[in-house]
Amino acid sequence: MVTGRALWTMLLILCPIIGYSFAQAVSLYAEASAAAKDAPVLASGLSPLDGVLVPSFGAFYVTVTLLFPFVAIRALGREKETGTLRLLVQLRYRVPTLIAAKLAAVAGAWLIVIVPALSALALWAAFGGHLHAAETLNLLLGHLLYGLLIAAIALFAAAIAESAATAAIITLAFTIGSWVLDFALTGQPGLFEWIARLSLTQALRPFEQGLFSVGVLVGTLAAIAGFAALAAVWLHPGVPLRDKLVRSLLIAIAAAGVALAATQVRTAVDVAEDRRNSFPPADERALKALREPLVITVHLAPEDPRYADLRRNILGKLERAMAHVTIRLASSGQSMVASTNDPSYGEVEYVYGGRSDRSRSTSHREILPLLYGLAGIAPPAPDPGGDYPGYPLIAKAQAALPWFLGALPILIVLAWWWSCRPPRIPMRLVEEGGKA
Amino acid sequence: MTIAVARTPAVERSPVLMQVGALTKRYCDQAALAGVSFEVRAGEVLGLIGPNGSGKTTLLETVAGVLPADTGDILWRGAPLPVGRRRDVIFYLPDGLRPWDDQFVSHVLAFFAAVYERSEEELADTVRAVGLSPVLGKRVLALSKGYGRRLMLALALLTPHPLLLLDEPFDGFDLRQTREVMTLLRQVAANGRTLVLAIHQLADAERVCDRFILLAGGAVRGIGTLAELRAAAKLGTAGLEEVFLALT
Repeated sequence: MVTGRALWTMLLILCPIIGYSFAQAVSLYAEASAAAKDAPVLASGLSPLDGVLVPSFGAFYVTVTLLFPFVAIRALGREKETGTLRLLVQLRYRVPTLIAAKLAAVAGAWLIVIVPALSALALWAAFGGHLHAAETLNLLLGHLLYGLLIAAIALFAAAIAESAATAAIITLAFTIGSWVLDFALTGQPGLFEWIARLSLTQALRPFEQGLFSVGVLVGTLAAIAGFAALAAVWLHPGVPLRDKLVRSLLIAIAAAGVALAATQVRTAVDVAEDRRNSFPPADERALKALREPLVITVHLAPEDPRYADLRRNILGKLERAMAHVTIRLASSGQSMVASTNDPSYGEVEYVYGGRSDRSRSTSHREILPLLYGLAGIAPPAPDPGGDYPGYPLIAKAQAALPWFLGALPILIVLAWWWSCRPPRIPMRLVEEGGKA
Repeated sequence: MTIAVARTPAVERSPVLMQVGALTKRYCDQAALAGVSFEVRAGEVLGLIGPNGSGKTTLLETVAGVLPADTGDILWRGAPLPVGRRRDVIFYLPDGLRPWDDQFVSHVLAFFAAVYERSEEELADTVRAVGLSPVLGKRVLALSKGYGRRLMLALALLTPHPLLLLDEPFDGFDLRQTREVMTLLRQVAANGRTLVLAIHQLADAERVCDRFILLAGGAVRGIGTLAELRAAAKLGTAGLEEVFLALT
């Protein structure tokens, strides 16, 4: 793959895009930090994950979505286009092994294209910026999974298409179509909300929020394995079409089954340093001790911004903290406009241990005491200390631009040139290898 | 007058290596192969003879398992040979291919040598045998047609398979090169490997092959040595061209 132009071109394109995003993020972070210089409350809201890492890697995400398919398709598309596939499938390796090797090669290419983004992390650390190891590694894992998902889709597209151009169109239909799902349907009620969850971007979102979700991990791995398996089925030109269709159906059913089961897995670890995905530790312990089922009925339309707040601040955290939580949308399938005449609209009903209470709040400071009241226990005393301090930093973002617009592109061009140099031929082949 | 390259003696007495039975393949309404049956004997050079479009490439690809056949059986030493196991015993070299064309020749050769666990000596022998030394440092796409064919031949020779199916192995070679390659292929056969060559140049086929399958319109029109085909065509001392025209 390193001999092709696609990988190096993508790297060169990434340099200014990530450089600009990083500089903008550092600049905005510096402005916010200046305002928070003498105010600890403001400073505690300054998280490098939100302020610098996610915006910088956001540029990487966009470029991977649009350009990485061309790099990944090359791993297979060129061989298919030139007919070399007929040699490839005759090698001593089984087709699934070939696809696994191709996927590993594309993963290697991903490790190369992430270099500009990693250099942004190094620059941030060099500026004196704070990096929390767990949330940073979690973010990198999310991007790796997303890259592998794009790669698996690209390999599948290359396996079914006759030309690399057609494979690129198919892959972009997946990736850009996924954006359309994400932008157009997120927050829509009913079936649309479920369809929006199929967006590839959804695989990355928890990792950007500092959440290591086992369900998302398993679901994404199932999708990667499913597309790779489909690529293996469709790659071999010697298999009859009917056999390919039957095997594809079985793989699709298996992958969908695993992905569906993964949606039921609630195990997740809040790796964010500010613990934004969890209640305070004392409350987490108290909630974990509540063993009876908690039933929550939400009188909000899914597209209502209050529902998004409730989901982020209360419902998601409760699902992770308690063993038995059931959430019902009272107005499922009904739009926000149609629901506003309902006097109970906006209320959330909590039922625990045969007792119930209602609230319109989306803050844990109001809801947790309500739950403790239903359970008949006293609110726990908060743990001393441990508050997130925030990491304000006033850095000059312009200092990063010479690296992204000058030094790094030059290094990439040098590496490209080095990869293209003629090989050193063993003397044995030159001396004994015929009529040189 | 034809100049025959030294042939493997007593091929007729060799055991049957592979049997192809009633192989059919259709592309939409067109029958590319219509019940093709033949057998390949160990150590022979079998020529698959026919004009362009007669089904030679389709036949080789279906036998190799890189193209699905509609019906038909293939037996290897008398036992069924499913598609998934054909790559263990058969290697098919397609025509007009520039494999991994953005790679250097030495890298492609080294890759094949590594896949089939060939030693450096074996690789050097193969490079010498096909005369690839001058272009080892070139990219595959920069090779002339002749050197491209030599590279393909080298890849086939690096494989350990007992049966090689070569599609138009002399295409792209001049007269002198063609004779060199013929000699090389006869040596390969003499060393125990079996070759099936799809050839549309009848003069070349007559020089190098032990037996012939005459193919026209996807059907077999004759199988045998030149003498047997002459007898079938009732043409006493005719060359392969006359025999082919008489039988197809």
